[in-house]
Amino acid sequence: MSAHSAAVPPPGHGPEAGHAEDNKFEIYVQIAMLLAIITGIEIAIVYFPWANWIIITTLVVLSLVKFLFVIFYFMHLRWDKPFCTILFFIGLIIAGGTVWALLAIFSAEASLPLPVA
Amino acid sequence: MSSHAATATIDHHHDPSTSTGIPNKKLLMWAFLASDCMFFGALISTHLIYRLHPPSGGLDPKDIFSIELTSFSTFILLMSSLMMALAVTAIQKGNLKSCRWSLLMTIFFGMIFLGCQVYEFEHFVHAKNMTLSNSLLGSTFYTLTGTHGCHVAIGVLWLSLMYVRSFKVASRPSWFNVQLLHALTLIVVLLLSLKVTLGLVHSLETVTGFGAAIADFFSHQSLYLGGFLLSLWGLFWFARPRGTVQFNEAHAIDVESMGLYWHFVDIVWIVIFTAVYLLEYI
Repeated sequence: MSAHSAAVPPPGHGPEAGHAEDNKFEIYVQIAMLLAIITGIEIAIVYFPWANWIIITTLVVLSLVKFLFVIFYFMHLRWDKPFCTILFFIGLIIAGGTVWALLAIFSAEASLPLPVA
Repeated sequence: MSSHAATATIDHHHDPSTSTGIPNKKLLMWAFLASDCMFFGALISTHLIYRLHPPSGGLDPKDIFSIELTSFSTFILLMSSLMMALAVTAIQKGNLKSCRWSLLMTIFFGMIFLGCQVYEFEHFVHAKNMTLSNSLLGSTFYTLTGTHGCHVAIGVLWLSLMYVRSFKVASRPSWFNVQLLHALTLIVVLLLSLKVTLGLVHSLETVTGFGAAIADFFSHQSLYLGGFLLSLWGLFWFARPRGTVQFNEAHAIDVESMGLYWHFVDIVWIVIFTAVYLLEYI
């Protein structure tokens, strides 16, 4: 470890981080309540008489918000080194790409199942 | 060294002894979780493909799923994530007692989730006639949610072992045997609690009248209930103070790594809840 890195705390390790450590209990409880509320909204929204694309988009956005809150706060990515975020997002992007590619391939006309005779 | 002083010297987010500055256990867990994303990505896309192109005459998920039960499970898993986060914070501050209680609550919520899933699967098979092999919906649904359930079960087992690990006494040479018995007792408590709870639910569903249902429950489950109470007493017995414990802030990375796994199980469920359950109701 160099003298510079020893003298300067890495991101997320200064006095602000110490203050955040003290308040983590409150942060966690508030986030858990927020996640519960978002889940309630998700359940209610599927019964709304809106266009499907609006409901699907809203559900995806709300799920994404929940997902990001959990990984950045409960899983500490916000306070950890960025390499952890990069490593996880590599897997996440490959997984997301696989889902997208598979859905696209199987939605192609040539991939549709043949009608049962 | 006091607990407060020890906390001040340990940086839980940075490890200068590694080349990356990240504790190796944490790095390993993040790498594993990244690979597990791809695993679940494949399972989720398989389910979605079959749902987007359902075979004619297939089952209608809206007639099968229970949104109330699944919403309850989702809420429970979110609360278990909260307890897990509090357990990590507690051990990072050297608060062993709070860490143990938070771990126990996480285990408790995890078992409720598993109980709901066992009930759901049993209901789908027996009442809705959806099995693993009689429909595409059943095949992809059970494979996806069952794999997630296995992850939850492994998480509960890991949490249980970590809880027992927190009682390791430094001066006791036979700690392994004691901890093995402690872990077995906890696992027996968890399995019997699941069995007894599902038995109670079954009695309440099948027998008319509350009093008759309770009588039916005791007539069928009294042996399991007795075993549960006995093993619960054993759990309290093993948890009694036995000397200086070798579990403190220095072991926070172990709890944190386990917490990462548990939170991952939660975020996978966030996706499954939307993709598998909610989208069916549109």
